[in-house]
Amino acid sequence: MHLLLVEDELEIQDFLKPSLTDAGYEVDVASDGESAQKFASMRVYDALIVDLGLPDQDGIDLILRLRRMGVSSPVLILSARRSVDDRVAGLELGGDDYLTKPFALAELLARLRNLLKRNAAASARPTVLRVGDLELDLLRRRASRGGDLLNLSPQEFGLLEYLCRHAGRVVTRSMLLAEVWGMRIQPDTNVVDVHIYRLRGKVDTEGRAPLIKTLRGVGYVLEDREQATA
Amino acid sequence: MYSKIGNRRPHSAAWRISLWATLAFTLGASLVFEALHRFMANDIRRRSDAWLSGEVQVLGDVAERTPKDRLYLRVVGEVADLASNEVPNRTGDEGAENDAVFFLQAERTGPAELWVGAGDGLANLEAIRARHALPGVPFHIDVKGFAVPFRVVAMQIDDGSYVYLGLSERDELRVLRNLRLRFLSMAVLIILFQFGLVFYVTRRMLGHVREMNEAASRIGESDLSQRVPVTKRNDEIGQLALTLNRMLDRIENSVRQLHTITDSLAHDLRSPLTAIRGKLEMSLSKKETSAVEPGWQPMVVSAIEELDRLTEFLNTSLDVAEARADALRLVRSEIDLDEMMRAMVDLYIPSMSERGLHMQLRSSDAVKVSADAGLLHRAVANLLDNELKHVPAGCTVTISLQAEGGYAKLTLEDDGPGFENEVSREIFMRRVKGKASTGHGLGLAFVEAVVHAHGGSVSAANRAEGGAQLTITLPLASAAQETAAAAGVAIPVA
Repeated sequence: MHLLLVEDELEIQDFLKPSLTDAGYEVDVASDGESAQKFASMRVYDALIVDLGLPDQDGIDLILRLRRMGVSSPVLILSARRSVDDRVAGLELGGDDYLTKPFALAELLARLRNLLKRNAAASARPTVLRVGDLELDLLRRRASRGGDLLNLSPQEFGLLEYLCRHAGRVVTRSMLLAEVWGMRIQPDTNVVDVHIYRLRGKVDTEGRAPLIKTLRGVGYVLEDREQATA
Repeated sequence: MYSKIGNRRPHSAAWRISLWATLAFTLGASLVFEALHRFMANDIRRRSDAWLSGEVQVLGDVAERTPKDRLYLRVVGEVADLASNEVPNRTGDEGAENDAVFFLQAERTGPAELWVGAGDGLANLEAIRARHALPGVPFHIDVKGFAVPFRVVAMQIDDGSYVYLGLSERDELRVLRNLRLRFLSMAVLIILFQFGLVFYVTRRMLGHVREMNEAASRIGESDLSQRVPVTKRNDEIGQLALTLNRMLDRIENSVRQLHTITDSLAHDLRSPLTAIRGKLEMSLSKKETSAVEPGWQPMVVSAIEELDRLTEFLNTSLDVAEARADALRLVRSEIDLDEMMRAMVDLYIPSMSERGLHMQLRSSDAVKVSADAGLLHRAVANLLDNELKHVPAGCTVTISLQAEGGYAKLTLEDDGPGFENEVSREIFMRRVKGKASTGHGLGLAFVEAVVHAHGGSVSAANRAEGGAQLTITLPLASAAQETAAAAGVAIPVA
């Protein structure tokens, strides 16, 4: 996977590039709009990460220009503006995504993966999700573990479904709020944690290998650790 | 595209102006006519008096000179007849007697010596004698049996008897009546035309004003880049549009400057925050920790959490600052508050029950508002976070939602201790917080800022039965459009 990072702040380049490389991507870095256009004309990138505040031009204009050049790769927009203006909202409909600074690295990676997956030929959506002995029947909205039916509310099922779809990957609180509840909020209370805590009480019952793990300061990950270490 | 409210008010102003203009016009026209009428009446009287005086002179001469023999009555009668023939007999009948003129000769007392005219002349003589008029001065008599009064001139002849010549005022009155009738019918037409013209012109002018109003209120609500429509004419209304637009230029300019300042402030703070956070996160993911003393990881995690709090504070205070300057950028869409509150309650209910709080939602129907979803979510989350943090266990938090008079009303109540007294007075001011509060004190200021930016209002109070009550109103989606159309006629709620 080849990415183009368009970001003028050296400090941010400094940690984003190695982090993306660590995550297994090849990364080219452009510090302004002009070099970004040069990079984009030389090869096809799987995804672009574009900061809106570039020294030589507005990030949105750059994206529109790239689109006119025929670049159709998904774009993850980084914005230092608090509210996202209409134009970004419009782009979002086109399959792109945005993050406001400062962001959690895990969130950036998660959103990036989402973009790449969305862009990859939309594979036939599975009707059953399996992680270890956890099984989610998406048609009948039922979850079971080792054959035992779990008694979940629709809300909890939605939460578990999202975790399963991102199994093995970090999911942040704001991703859960945005995707499961449809809200871009940052509560200063532990509302999401309580949901996860309750879900864990139903999924990771005693005697079973725990699937849902908390990463402090970052978020959660659902994975079958025995399988992962094996 | 015109709503009822939008149309009615300017029209009533056009009505008012037209009515006043018509009243003034009618008064003026009446005064002019009154003067004209008086002039005409005097003129006609002067002419008929002149004729009367001339004729009575002639008749007097004839009566003096004609010898008082058998022929006297015939001669004078013929002359009087001739004179009366000068006045057309308007009764219409050819053969009828002339009742427009009479001639009378009589002593001071006793019966008439000579009578030429309609009827027997007794009533005329009686009316004349009742007047005791001086010879040569025309006077006015009402005669029994005649609807119309007569104008009479007397003359004393040599033999001491008097001759009288009378002329009916019928003609004079008819001319004046005709004049009045014509004037009245023309006046009605002219006044109607004038009313229509004034109404049309004022309505057109007020139409421009209304367009400007509509545009101005649209601009006030959302889009500062729009301008009031400018007319080609260089009159007061055209000037008003230009002035408004110049003012809007200035406002847009300062708002843009504010945006530039907050944006660059946000950007300058955010970029280093992003870098710090990223580097801290990177350090967490590194496995080789041999060089550093153990126990550093929780410290890094708490540093990240502090950074997130700082970011949230930065976001909120910039939002509050922008909203207070009426410069909050809203990305509006139609939101069903009922649906939104259900999702919110779903999200918060586990945390509430974890804290030993009960939560109720009283809402039945969809309540649609046009609002910025992100800001509204954050505002409501702020309120619920507040409840979570400050209300003691065992209490109930009740949320009720209803649509009322064009507004959505969202009420949040609890049966906790309520607001501290000195806090409740300035609860929405920036950075006010209770002694026990751990937040940054911007929560309610943010809520108020967001609600005001949407054209709604917030109020907070302690309930009589104990506990706090917070009420938010927001214009309903359909009402918001109407307010825009009403164009500043409705009093802004802000």
